Amino acid sequence: MSLRQRLVPYGLLGPGLLWLVVFFVVPMYFMGELALRSGSLTTGYTFDWAWSNFPDSLSGHTEQIGRSFLYAGTATVLALLIAYPLAYAIAFRAGRFKLLLLFAVIAPFFTTYLIRTIAWKTILSDSSPMVSVLQTLALVPPDGRVLATSGAVIAGLTYNFLPFMVLPLYANLERLDLRLIEAAKDLYSSSRQAFLKVTLPLTMPGIVAGVLLTFIPAFGDYINAQILGGTQQAMVGNVIQSLYLNQRDYPEAAALSFLMMGLILAVVIVYIRFAGTGAFMGDEDEEMA
Amino acid sequence: MQGRGKNQRGVAALAVAVAAIAAALGLAACGGDTVGGGSDTEATTAKGGPASGSLTISNWPGYIDPGPKGTVAEFEKETGVDVDYIEDINSNDGFFGKLQPQLEQGESGGRSVFVVADYMAKQMHDLGYLQEIDHGDLPTVFANLAPDLESPDFDPERKFSVPWQGGMTGIWVDTAKAPDIRSVNDLFDPKYKGKVTMLDELRETPALVMLGEGVDPAQASADQWLDAIDKLGDAASSGQIRRFTGNEYTEDLTAGNIVAAIGWSGDASLIENENAEWRMPAEGCTRWMENMVIPVGAPNTPAALSWMNFVYRPNVAVDITEYVEYISPVQGVKELLEKRGSELAKSEIVFPTEEFTRDCTGQITPPELERVNEAWQDVLTG
Repeated sequence: MSLRQRLVPYGLLGPGLLWLVVFFVVPMYFMGELALRSGSLTTGYTFDWAWSNFPDSLSGHTEQIGRSFLYAGTATVLALLIAYPLAYAIAFRAGRFKLLLLFAVIAPFFTTYLIRTIAWKTILSDSSPMVSVLQTLALVPPDGRVLATSGAVIAGLTYNFLPFMVLPLYANLERLDLRLIEAAKDLYSSSRQAFLKVTLPLTMPGIVAGVLLTFIPAFGDYINAQILGGTQQAMVGNVIQSLYLNQRDYPEAAALSFLMMGLILAVVIVYIRFAGTGAFMGDEDEEMA
Repeated sequence: MQGRGKNQRGVAALAVAVAAIAAALGLAACGGDTVGGGSDTEATTAKGGPASGSLTISNWPGYIDPGPKGTVAEFEKETGVDVDYIEDINSNDGFFGKLQPQLEQGESGGRSVFVVADYMAKQMHDLGYLQEIDHGDLPTVFANLAPDLESPDFDPERKFSVPWQGGMTGIWVDTAKAPDIRSVNDLFDPKYKGKVTMLDELRETPALVMLGEGVDPAQASADQWLDAIDKLGDAASSGQIRRFTGNEYTEDLTAGNIVAAIGWSGDASLIENENAEWRMPAEGCTRWMENMVIPVGAPNTPAALSWMNFVYRPNVAVDITEYVEYISPVQGVKELLEKRGSELAKSEIVFPTEEFTRDCTGQITPPELERVNEAWQDVLTG
């Protein structure tokens, strides 16, 4: 290879790398440095390797961290259960309505996130028809409510991140080779067996991508808890917001953000190992082997 | 072969990453050692002169009469100044938190006027984030300012603050559903479990709870503040309190989600519920005043000062009062309302008598602020 040929890949990497350095590495550095400062707003925050910010930022906030896992995890599972049949139907059964249905999945995104969430406040308000129906079905106690409960926050998260689950699944199902399912049936597998042994393994890359795209932002979300939650639904994002904007404890807010990034990274690494790196990279050869 | 190629690329990528981090460290090393702490320079005085150009004003939502005949439009028409009026303040602390890093750099994000509470104006001034004001540039303001507002404790000479509107914090009640709520203590009645909201402001909600227990917030110790905060924390975890809110309690009252809320006296125009009524708590309220201030780095201060003079003309102030229904700092508004035959002229909420506000207290900052605020924030993020 000539020198030029060897340099081309780096040249192509350049713009992406520059982006990462300017918008990820540099901010990360400043945040890391801020997390090691101590002081207050009036005295100023001085850099003095204040490692104690890390344990301090966790104390008293473990409940909200646990809640974030619970809410984001439940929302991810719900989104998967809703999105898989939906994507499957759009990919294989929609016929000429395919584009229209895909559009219907994306259309709510033309409205901003905040407005969509606030709209749910009206839909779920105590005297809304939706809540009366749920009360009639005995899913909600007669004097109960939906708004300002954990259920409302989870519903909001599921709704807001659903397209992130549907789209990768659809992209994956769409290019599924239907002859493989035919072959499975030729070999006397039932529909159920064909789904479990052929379709599902082949759509693992879509599932893994969808789960990551849903779980990671849902974990750090604070809008749903703030708008749809009550007094006992705060997630870790709300704690960081309070530390940063209301208590102005910038170092502790930065430390907590860092810990959450580490935690999410660890969870994602474990998850990818479990779900298979091949599936994550979309490397079907490895998957088949 | 394939494997080796991958490894080499990995090493090269790592080298680039390390170089990038090193470069970032180098960049950062050029910065100062301390973040925050306020500026050490002398406060500047806002420059006066004829108004022109464009002006950006930050205010709370629903705090001025809108529309083509509204105050902003009239000011634009008269002076030719192009006003960008943004309603981006929903809480004193939240707004300060958002802007503090910029103010620290001597920047105001393009804004020339903010509206903040007394204690926040003082805090900003003490950190060197505000410009001082020459009374010579504000003849209309000081000709019409109500005498009892000329010399407040936090700014005795009105060097950096000009009152915008004032109000009281008490109880909003849906009279059809909870006619008997007259005290903050009634909000803790199990009958109204999950049907009550309270404000997320430290200087309002815990202070009102203390008043309800017969404690004067102005004299209270940090422990008494923490007791009130504990009581609120218990009520939050038992489900008695549905939410802690900013302006959003008006939506919950409109939608019928709640029967009562701790809220601000002038918010009638934001609540679409004919049974909603603001009540002075039996034990008294908290009173507050919000101020126009000019931040450091504010562009076009002549237009900002001219705006302040403009809204202090009684015939302009009366339009604002008619729309917002808060307490005007401008003299002569009541007489003009009477002339217009407005019911508001008789309202105790817009023109409170001394008798009416007898038991009220100002907005008090608790002792050991950091510790008390941390406990309060822990309750808010339950």
